[in-house]
Amino acid sequence: MSFRTFFLSLSASFGVAWLAVVVVPYFKMRSIEPISMGDDATGTNAVFIPKRAGRIADGSKVYAENGCYLCHSQLVRPTYAGNDIFRSDLGGMVYEDQRGDSRRETNVYDYAGEKFAQIGETRLGPDLSNLGVRVVNSYAKDISPEAWLYRHLYNPRSSAAYSHSACPSFRFLFDEKKINGIASGGALELDDTSDIEIVPSADARALVSYLLSLKKDQPVPPSLNFAKPAASSTTAP
Amino acid sequence: MSTEISNANLQDAQLRAGIDRSLRHPVMFFLTSGAAWLAVSLILGIISSAKVHSPTFLDCCSFLTYGRTQAAHLNLLVYGWGFQVAFGVIIWLMSRLSRQTCKAAGLVLTAGHVWNLGVSLGVFGILFGYGTGIPWMEFPAFTWPVLLLSYLAILVWSFVQFKVRPEGSVYISQWYLMAAMLWFPWVFATANILIHIVPGNPVMAAGIAAWYKSAMVFLFFTPVALGTAFYLVPKVTGRPVQSYSMAKMGFWSLAVIMPWAGMQKLMGAPIPYFLPYVGAAATILFFIPALSAAVNLLQTASSSKDVVMHSPTLRFTMAGLLGLIVMALCAAFINIPGSTLKLSQFSMSGYGFEILAIYAFFSFVMFGAIYFIVPRITRREWLSRRLIKMHFFISIYGIVLIALVAVFGGLQQGMGQEEFNQPWIAIAFRAYPYAWATTIAWCFILISNIFFFLHLLVMWLRLGRRSIHPTLLISDHGASPHGEDGDIDNCGPGTVTPAH
Repeated sequence: MSFRTFFLSLSASFGVAWLAVVVVPYFKMRSIEPISMGDDATGTNAVFIPKRAGRIADGSKVYAENGCYLCHSQLVRPTYAGNDIFRSDLGGMVYEDQRGDSRRETNVYDYAGEKFAQIGETRLGPDLSNLGVRVVNSYAKDISPEAWLYRHLYNPRSSAAYSHSACPSFRFLFDEKKINGIASGGALELDDTSDIEIVPSADARALVSYLLSLKKDQPVPPSLNFAKPAASSTTAP
Repeated sequence: MSTEISNANLQDAQLRAGIDRSLRHPVMFFLTSGAAWLAVSLILGIISSAKVHSPTFLDCCSFLTYGRTQAAHLNLLVYGWGFQVAFGVIIWLMSRLSRQTCKAAGLVLTAGHVWNLGVSLGVFGILFGYGTGIPWMEFPAFTWPVLLLSYLAILVWSFVQFKVRPEGSVYISQWYLMAAMLWFPWVFATANILIHIVPGNPVMAAGIAAWYKSAMVFLFFTPVALGTAFYLVPKVTGRPVQSYSMAKMGFWSLAVIMPWAGMQKLMGAPIPYFLPYVGAAATILFFIPALSAAVNLLQTASSSKDVVMHSPTLRFTMAGLLGLIVMALCAAFINIPGSTLKLSQFSMSGYGFEILAIYAFFSFVMFGAIYFIVPRITRREWLSRRLIKMHFFISIYGIVLIALVAVFGGLQQGMGQEEFNQPWIAIAFRAYPYAWATTIAWCFILISNIFFFLHLLVMWLRLGRRSIHPTLLISDHGASPHGEDGDIDNCGPGTVTPAH
């Protein structure tokens, strides 16, 4: 076999796979067709517009820089690939009000606004796909969702329920300030009487805004929805 | 007649000595700086593993948080140790096999310094919070062109040497090494350009990162280690490869199957459905190229059991080939869609597999190569048999523990995740004992590699033994402690006995 044939064969064996699993899918997925809402009664051609509020780009940068993806995933797998959707709060919530069952698999629009989807390496910590939903509905009982997350990031083992958490403390995302007269807005509510206050830095604010944006409870087209559309059929026109 | 033979032998030995001399500085630089980065990577690995079970350990500063030390640990293992030792071994093997002295040693050495600069900047970037958040590509984005250009400057000479070599058949080692040398820049440039320069869908970017990681393992580290093993085993035992057609079959099956692997990491993610399944299938099929090469080489060595026991080179290489078999079985075992893949997908199994590939297989073969190459280029023998033995056994204990823990611990963790009625903390408790075992295992491996690094440093400073007796692992008191006379091919012109 000559030098030339050898290199052509090597390039061909690699190049076919390279085109088929990397290049073509990548460029195909740069433009995704919008999905119709389908059950629209008004007759307009409504399409699904993914919405995410919060400082997605800044926050996901802080998330990436601090290696959160090494322990936390962001993927609710379909049932053929795992039981994620059944785990309480992980795949979404079952609300008692009109919103009904918001549990569903992750779809391609859920990472809108991010450069890189943080699918995650391991689940040493819980999945964060619906962290925003969980904090608002379950964790932050007598405190704002932001304040709950700040406190958790500052010291993940602060409350008895989380005393076994292996999450590192992100104290370095907070600034210590001497209280001069009135305390700053947004400072952590810690039980100490010293004249030092703990104020979240710009990075901490971006990260918390991003974490609260992690929720999958907006209405999605039936083709993207795991739950049976029972709730909508009972409403009278 | 006999004078003709000894003349040819003389010329041969002079050529080999010339090649070794021309490559002394770059090869020793790559091996020693690689070993130093390995030690740093292992320290970071211990710190990050300890944090999994004791989160308040070294909980003082931002650069020692788990998310940064773990990323730095893996990137150093890949780019600091893995690539540098591969460079050292590739440029030496390609020169020897093409029978050409290296005429660009200064440039290679300079490019090696640039590579090290890129790695240093990358690691400091990760530790001080400028990481990209892309697994195995965490170095800040500005480093990748630096790494790619220095890579080309280091290895382009090996292509040139191959091109101008004397006519003759091409040995299987050259196939493997040239394939790795061609595929790496292709994979590296593709992943970095698509993720950093051409904006695309974020989920597909994650898919490409998963493919990149798998391509690094199967299309760079695997062929480099196999090419090296196909050189070392016949060379040290003095026997030809058992089945050359099987070797070719193994090579082409690697080339055809492995570029498809990797995207099973995204099983269930919103990317085209066929990608994760193709990835899982290709990874499972890794046993074809792996077993055909490993069995072939083990059979080649099996008729020289004494040599395997006494030669440090062969002992490490054989251990590496056993590591390859375990790695191939593991690849098939943890990637079955619908069965084990959903358990291993987000558990410690993935990390365990990476460590199996990089340490149990690749690094062991590279250690074997280092024990072979260094005495030849420094013209000194290894100082101590005991240090080599310590390096071998402590490394073996460590890696066996890590592999068992990471693979089975990962499956345990995955089973915990599947039990959706159990609280999340139950899964964390399943992982703790395995995390403890991993920390202990990394400590073993660190100790063994500190011995290794010091031994290598002494050799680099040319403080090795001036002797014609190679350092062999013989504990028989009757025999000479340093083996038989003159069985190393740089001991003088005209020696024809097999090398150790």
